[in-house]
Formats: sequence, structure tokens, C-alpha cells
Amino acid sequence: MEQEILLSVKNLEVKFDLRGRTLNAIRGISLDLYKGESLAIVGESGSGKSVLVKTFMGLLDANGRITDGEILYNGQDFTKFKTEKEWLAIRGKELAMVLQDPMTSLNPLKTVGFQICEALELHQGLKGAKAKEAAVSILEDVGITEAGRRFSQYPHEFSGGMRQRAVIAIAVACRPKILICDEPTTALDVTIQAQILNLLKDLKAKYDLTTIYITHDLGVVANVADRIAVMYAGDIVEIGKCDEVFYNPRHPYTWALLSSLPQLGVKGENLYSIKGAPPNLFTHIAGDAFAPRNPRALKIDFVKRPPYFDVSPTHKARTWLLDPRAPKVDPPESIRKLRQGVSANG
Amino acid sequence: MLKYAAKRLIQSLVTLVIIITIVFSLLRLMPVEGYFQNFDKLDKNQIHAALLSMGLLDPLPVQLKNFFVQLLHGSLGNSLIYRPNVPVLDIIADKAPVSIFMGLASMAIALLLGLPLGTAMARSKAKFWDKFGTAFIVFVTAVPAAVYYLLIQVYFTDWLGLPILFSESDPVSWILPTVSLSLGNIAYYAMWLRRYMVDELNKDYIRLARAKGVDSKTIMKKHVFRNAFVPMVQYLPTSLLYTIAGSIYIESLYSVPGMGGLLVNVIQRQDNNMVQALVLIYSAIGIVGLLFGDILMNLMDPRISFEKKGGAR
Repeated sequence: MEQEILLSVKNLEVKFDLRGRTLNAIRGISLDLYKGESLAIVGESGSGKSVLVKTFMGLLDANGRITDGEILYNGQDFTKFKTEKEWLAIRGKELAMVLQDPMTSLNPLKTVGFQICEALELHQGLKGAKAKEAAVSILEDVGITEAGRRFSQYPHEFSGGMRQRAVIAIAVACRPKILICDEPTTALDVTIQAQILNLLKDLKAKYDLTTIYITHDLGVVANVADRIAVMYAGDIVEIGKCDEVFYNPRHPYTWALLSSLPQLGVKGENLYSIKGAPPNLFTHIAGDAFAPRNPRALKIDFVKRPPYFDVSPTHKARTWLLDPRAPKVDPPESIRKLRQGVSANG
Repeated sequence: MLKYAAKRLIQSLVTLVIIITIVFSLLRLMPVEGYFQNFDKLDKNQIHAALLSMGLLDPLPVQLKNFFVQLLHGSLGNSLIYRPNVPVLDIIADKAPVSIFMGLASMAIALLLGLPLGTAMARSKAKFWDKFGTAFIVFVTAVPAAVYYLLIQVYFTDWLGLPILFSESDPVSWILPTVSLSLGNIAYYAMWLRRYMVDELNKDYIRLARAKGVDSKTIMKKHVFRNAFVPMVQYLPTSLLYTIAGSIYIESLYSVPGMGGLLVNVIQRQDNNMVQALVLIYSAIGIVGLLFGDILMNLMDPRISFEKKGGAR
């Protein structure tokens, strides 16, 4: 089944200038986002997931720049954008964002209503009483009770979960096509997390959104994602459908990541952790970025960067292990168990 | 809000009463010369009689009570040496208008130049305006005010053909002293506004505003400036009142007949009543400034609320 591609990233490279040195934050990423899907981008801190989505909205910090590649959306190439005016036609209107920390993502001195109306006015041309009416109905949509009263309250009068709902209301008020959720539940209580994820799922259906989740919480991923992209050191090392990546992972980093799930640990034994530290992105990385931390690394992993190998039409991974010439390397015990679980069930 | 204002007003009054008591008591320790114009010519009995008639030999609590009663009748006593037997308040009323006018004008200049400078600095971090502003601020803060006041007086009068001395009837002569007076405040406002704006700019809600498609001008105006101004608002009334109260340097440089030099003058001449009255006025100014600052802040920041409201959270 051929799906419509909404946004297409081609060979994207992003570099940051930090105190005279250059940091390679994104090292040649290609990614297609399909209309109506829910894509999760997972990876540890510093793997470049946030930087990647920031380039979709022109929100890179001043010292960051796109050095190569294209971001194609609706016939436009975002990497060619020079002025703020070009971006203003995209931000909110086409893509909107929900940030990680609801405690700080609202202006403390403006009412919640004002902040929603700001988006309504910008993108739907609503003003005054009409804007208020629309804002109240959106507040109801995101599950805020007594929306009329809440409209004129300030962020400090909202609890954490309600603030995140308000932030989501702002994003929805823009009527975007793509909603980017940058760790939307990380700062919330576990009980609230599930509510917010369900809300996002409902809104996705109601407002016909395509969603991108950035997270390092695999529980969130399993809950909401159609597809998963696993990022490591500024690169997507494996991408595939949710089930494919969870139950048939092929990249050693994905193995390591999944093995770190506490649920896969054996009672009484230490939890699995990935040894070593992520590579230094200031230096040029030859070969597979994960090789130095990978006990199963092949010699070629240190020399030549692997290309993507297709596992299935929807699943590919960047590892030499998938090369026909590679020796057979078994995934760790815990991953094999996951796989067996699937074949037993399916 | 009213309840809060009333509460703060009462607190301020209590503070003022305490300050008055302390200042009054301390001044009783001053040498008695300060109560006489012609101390050297008087003998012991005359001095004793005069002190007795002024009530200065009463026990301290009685004197304090008398002073407060007098204060409630709107009098701060008479000057003794500076201008003998003229009520202190009349002397101040003579001098205040010039200082107040000059202070207000310089405050207006400081706000009109300082706030845009601070905004420009925050907007162009590490570029021209930021560097220019930093140089200006460092100069104004690091070089003693007396030095650049003097430089301005010496060179600018020459270059611009402005009069060296102040004259009430010649408005042109007001320019240099007023501008000089505002320099410190311009630097101060620019520095703090830049600092608070840069703080705000790095906050998440600015990122969210940008992500929802608000343009940078509107973000600067509606979100950053407004929010950065709130912490500054607290200090504006104090700064205004002290500016109005006059500047010793400037008033003596340009011989402006304002209040600036008054306190130093009366301390040197040991006019105890005048010292007492002026110290009280200056402390009252400080307290009133803080009071207004807090009330303004309370008006501008919805998070600060001293009354319990139902329904939150």
C-alpha cells in the first residue's frame, strides 16, 4: 500500500557552532512522514531528536545551521527558507508543537484564553467574542471542565496536567496538519501521562492530524506510535512499523535500548544498561557510531558507515549485520524472548 | 487588592514610626551646639535656659511624644542655623519645585532612552547595540559620576554653546543638568531591562509562541518586554523619588537651587532640626517608593496575590 508522503527529509545535516568548534548534530538523515500516521522518534538525550524536529519549524538555535539536505513539504524546501516571513506561513499553520514542560511553556502573565486566542487570530482570523467562543470549545475538547471560567484564568491557576492540556489546546487552535509532541509527558505524573496520551490520540482522529512524538519513553511509543525511528548520534539507525521494531529489531543499538527496559529484566539481576558513553559529535565518526559500545561489533563497523538494509518494505536498519556477507550474530537473550513471544502469539 | 494596599500602607507607617524614633533618639546624642547660632557667646545659664525652653531637657520619651504631636500638626520644627526660625517645611518648599521638575524631566529622558536601549541590546545580543550599550553602561557605572558630570559641563557647554550655570528663567540652561542627571538611570534601566529580557527570551513559552507562528516583533512586545518589565517596575518608584530628591553633584556644579545639597549643607552647619527633618523625609521617600513598587508589581503580575482566592488548582 502506497501512502501519501506529507513531509520528506532528504540527507539532512545540521551543525552547531560551539565556542569555535563544530558539533555534528544531525548526520545525514532521510525520513518520510506519511499523512495521518503517528511516528515516534526515540533515542537517548543528545541523539538529535529535538534538533531534527526543530528544523521542521525553523526553530534551531542561532548557532545551528543546516549544512546539507532538503526538507520537502508541499512543494517547498524548508532548508531554502531565509526570512522569518517564510516561516510564519508554516509555523502553527502547517506544523504545531507541544513542548516537554507544561510548567514553563505558557506565558505566566497572560491568561490561558489570551494565549489560545493568539493562535486563533493568527491562523483562523477569529477575533473578540468569536475567538473566545472557539477557544472555550477547544478547551472543552482538550478535557478542561468549566472551560468558560478557565478561559480567563492564568497559567499558575492550572495544575501541571491541565497546563499541558492548555498547551495542546494552543497547538490545536492553530489547526495544523502536523503536530509535533516533544516529550509531551516527560514532566507529568504517571497517572496524568496516560490521560494526555489518550487525549492526543483522540485529537489526532478528531482534527485529522499527523503526529510526531519525540520521546525516550518506550512505553509512550508502544502506546501511540504507528512507526518508530530509532536515533543514535544524530542518525536514524533503524526505522520500521511499531511491531517490527519492537519484536524484530535488527540494529545492535535497538537491541541495547530494548534490553534496557526494566520489564525485560530478570528479577534479582541487575537491570541492563548500555556500557560506555555516546560518541563525541565534535569529531568525525567513521563507521557505525554505536560500534565502540557494541560488544558484537564487526571489524568493518569501525571503518565504514553501514548503508540501510531493508528487512521488509517498511523496515530498514543501518547495520552491517544485515549484509549477506556478515557472520550470523544473534541478538541478546532478552530480545530473542521478545521475538518468541510474538511468534507464539501470532 | 485594596486590602493588600491597606495592609502594606499600615506596614509602611509602622516602619516609618520606627525610623523616626531611631533617628530622633540618635540626634539627641548630637552636641548641643547644633541648637544655637551663637553658641560661643552664651554662658552656661543661658544655654541651660534655652535648652529648657526648647524642651530638650525633658526625658527622651516625653520629647519623642512632643515631636510626634508636632508632626501630626504638620510641622517639622524650625530651622536653627541654616535660616534661623524659618519653618523647615518652608525651606524645603522653596527648593523642592526645581528639583522635582528636573527629576521628572530626567526620569522621562531615562525611560525614553534607557528602555529602548535595553530592548535593542537584548534583541541584538553580542552585536552592535549590545556592545554599544555595554560600553555606555560600563562607562557610566565605572567612572565616578562627578568626573563625567564635570566633563559634560566643561566640553558640552562649549560645543553646544549652552550656559554653564543654571538659571530658572532660561530653559536652555536646564538641558545639561537634566541630561546629566538622567545618564545613571539610562544605564541602570538599559542594563536591567536587557538582563530580564534575555532571561525571558530563553524561556520555553517564547519557544512555544514562536512555534505557534507569532512573529518576533509581537513576541518582543507582547511577551518579552512586558514580562521583563515586571521585575523592573518594583524599583521604578524608588528610583523616581530619589531622582526627584535632587543630586548633590549636579546641583552644586550648575548651582541649581534644589534640594540636593541641602542635607550635606545642614549637617556641616550642625542644624539639628534640619538634619532631623531631612533624614525623615528621605527615609519616607524610600519607604513610599518601596510601597508603590510593591503595589505596581502586584497590579502587573497576576501570580502575586496576597488575598486567598477560591477555585485555583
